[in-house]
Amino acid sequence: MMAVVNPLSNTKVLVIDDQAGMRTQLQMSLTHSGFEKLHVVSCIKDALAKLQGEHYDIILCDYFLGESTNGQQFLEYLRTKDLIGRNTLFVMITAERTYEKVVTAAECAPDDYLLKPFTAEQLNQRLQKLMERQTHFALVDKATDAKDWKRVVAECDRLITEKDKYFIEACKIKGAALIKGGLADEAEAHYRQMLELRPLPWAKLGLARALGLKGEKEAAARMAREVVTEHGSFMGAYDFLGGVLAEAGDKDGALEVLQAARQVSPGTLTRIRNVAELAVDTGKNEIAEQVMGEALTRHKYSPVREAQDYAILSRALTEQGKSDKALGVLKEAKGSFKDAASNVILATVECLAHRKAGNLELAEAALAQALAADHGNLPAAVSAAVADACFALGKEDRANDLLKQVIQNNPDDTKVHDKVSAVLASAGKDADEAQAMIAASASEIIALNNEGVRKAQAGELPEAIMLLCDAADRLPNNIQIVSNASLALALDLARNGYNAVKFKECLRYRQQVVDKTPDYPKLAQIDSMLIKVQKPHG
Amino acid sequence: MDNLVAAVIHDVKNQLAELALRLERKGDALQETRIAMDASRRLTELLLTYRQQSGQLRANIDSANPDDLLQELAVEYRGLFPDLRITVDTGAAPVFAFYDEALLRLALANAVYNACRFAKGAVTLSAYNDGEFMVFEVADDGAGFPDPLLGAAPAAPAAASSRGTGLGLFLAGRIAELHAVEGRCGSVMLDNRPDGAHFRLRLP
Repeated sequence: MMAVVNPLSNTKVLVIDDQAGMRTQLQMSLTHSGFEKLHVVSCIKDALAKLQGEHYDIILCDYFLGESTNGQQFLEYLRTKDLIGRNTLFVMITAERTYEKVVTAAECAPDDYLLKPFTAEQLNQRLQKLMERQTHFALVDKATDAKDWKRVVAECDRLITEKDKYFIEACKIKGAALIKGGLADEAEAHYRQMLELRPLPWAKLGLARALGLKGEKEAAARMAREVVTEHGSFMGAYDFLGGVLAEAGDKDGALEVLQAARQVSPGTLTRIRNVAELAVDTGKNEIAEQVMGEALTRHKYSPVREAQDYAILSRALTEQGKSDKALGVLKEAKGSFKDAASNVILATVECLAHRKAGNLELAEAALAQALAADHGNLPAAVSAAVADACFALGKEDRANDLLKQVIQNNPDDTKVHDKVSAVLASAGKDADEAQAMIAASASEIIALNNEGVRKAQAGELPEAIMLLCDAADRLPNNIQIVSNASLALALDLARNGYNAVKFKECLRYRQQVVDKTPDYPKLAQIDSMLIKVQKPHG
Repeated sequence: MDNLVAAVIHDVKNQLAELALRLERKGDALQETRIAMDASRRLTELLLTYRQQSGQLRANIDSANPDDLLQELAVEYRGLFPDLRITVDTGAAPVFAFYDEALLRLALANAVYNACRFAKGAVTLSAYNDGEFMVFEVADDGAGFPDPLLGAAPAAPAAASSRGTGLGLFLAGRIAELHAVEGRCGSVMLDNRPDGAHFRLRLP
């Protein structure tokens, strides 16, 4: 038996298994191995409740959870919503080896798979090994959680020099961080080097991603297609290829690839979402209805669903003239989703459904509801959809205002700009008009920023603060504006002394910057001002 | 493969999983645990053989640590065969190698199980480099393989022999072959030496 002297008594474990017998046995085995802080639940709803109140070191999750949502889909949900950090080990328990990696999307692999049956000692040994690995990658994981990709790369480089058994894994994490950090050339060189060592599919897909990042979309698509052909069960390649094709405007091709992926593995809701959206965009509303309708029936009551899923289904139905059914779907969704973004999403498609049914008054009311939200804090795609509905109802001015705000809130995000262009195109604007509108919106906010900075430098601090803070509240995602608002307040505090309200506002803007870009250069400037602020004692 | 068959196999494996954990907790049911674990492994082999026969068995090759794999197998089989001396020798193995860990574990588990059944007192699990190949070796000090089994793994699932159904050996050979790099592919070799039976799985 294992020695009893271990830190296991402090390791928090969450077990998710729908079978009562297995739960009991796992609990007894883990207790026997020395784990004392154990929680055992039977479904992901209970698991989520536990995860909200507590940090777990290890999650042991059965792949089949009886109900609709499986362990892989649950893991994807946890990762995309950032509900667990990298320092939480997620171990998938499966009865079949064949289910394993088939369902694996590149970024959402569990830390390990445990094949049933296993003895308590095997489980214990596996967990020990995983915890050893966790310690090895602790600093990398920390940087990953902070989304500080440069630091992830630096930490990986440190580990890579050790050339130990984690060498390839460190290389894999480094490559992903280079891509996430936008370092295309370094990523390309890195993956080419990996491929020389061994032609592994993830390295090939990594190279495809690097090429895509460099703008070499055709080469990226070609390489991703090679991975799909050579390694048919490597699901990440399908999703990436579909994305590249869709971005290049080949939505039919993208849909075909993702449908092929669904043949291999029904996959996670993210893929189903992409399929349904592409189908609606390409006028294949029956496919969208079928795919999303099935998925939502299967995932009924599951927390992995999103309001957007119902919105797509509703749109697919509306487009086919089934307005009543579309409104029924939305009614069901409204019962489940109450947050601001979901409300806007559902109100927008509701507007379209009413319009199609000829109920213009109801359509107007739904649109008014969608417009009333604080769009600065909504995802760009949500606001773009509202603008689309504005155009549909002939409210061109409101649509343009909204699109302008979207551009100014995401001044450097070309994907958002493409989305805006697409909305303008479907409203009948030509490409030049769209480009001019985007350029004008972008230069307007640059001019406003420059004006604020000029005023601050000229000593007109109250005017600068008013201008920048007003813009920062409207455009909370525009890091340049928000950081300058924080800096103007910091300058004022340093010069004119402590003021509780200004100090709080300054820190709030500063935090917004930190949350988005922890190493944003202007933070140092803000901090150097804040140091000079004399805070009253007490 | 038939969905119904797969679903039943899945259910039975879940039952065996629970049974194995229950038996282990009892403490004095070693032989029963062994049977449950063996039955489950054979169901997995059956499932994979079906996949192999329909051309659906694929290897997901990535980097892995040979020592981890053999240590894990050693822990499993030391628990099931406490009277045997099961040792791991990976002094000459690379710290990382490229293979499908889940498939390799299955191929080797069958070899280790057989070695444990026929060993007099000792089983050695080792990994080492041999030119351009990496070799996993399972050796026991028993009477050796019967002559018909010697040499390369069979090309088709064999009928029952004194060392099992031959399904495991057949599958081990196919799993080795799935590991191919630039025209070189893996293989399984069995031979008898003065010190006993040697099972070798070579990977490019």
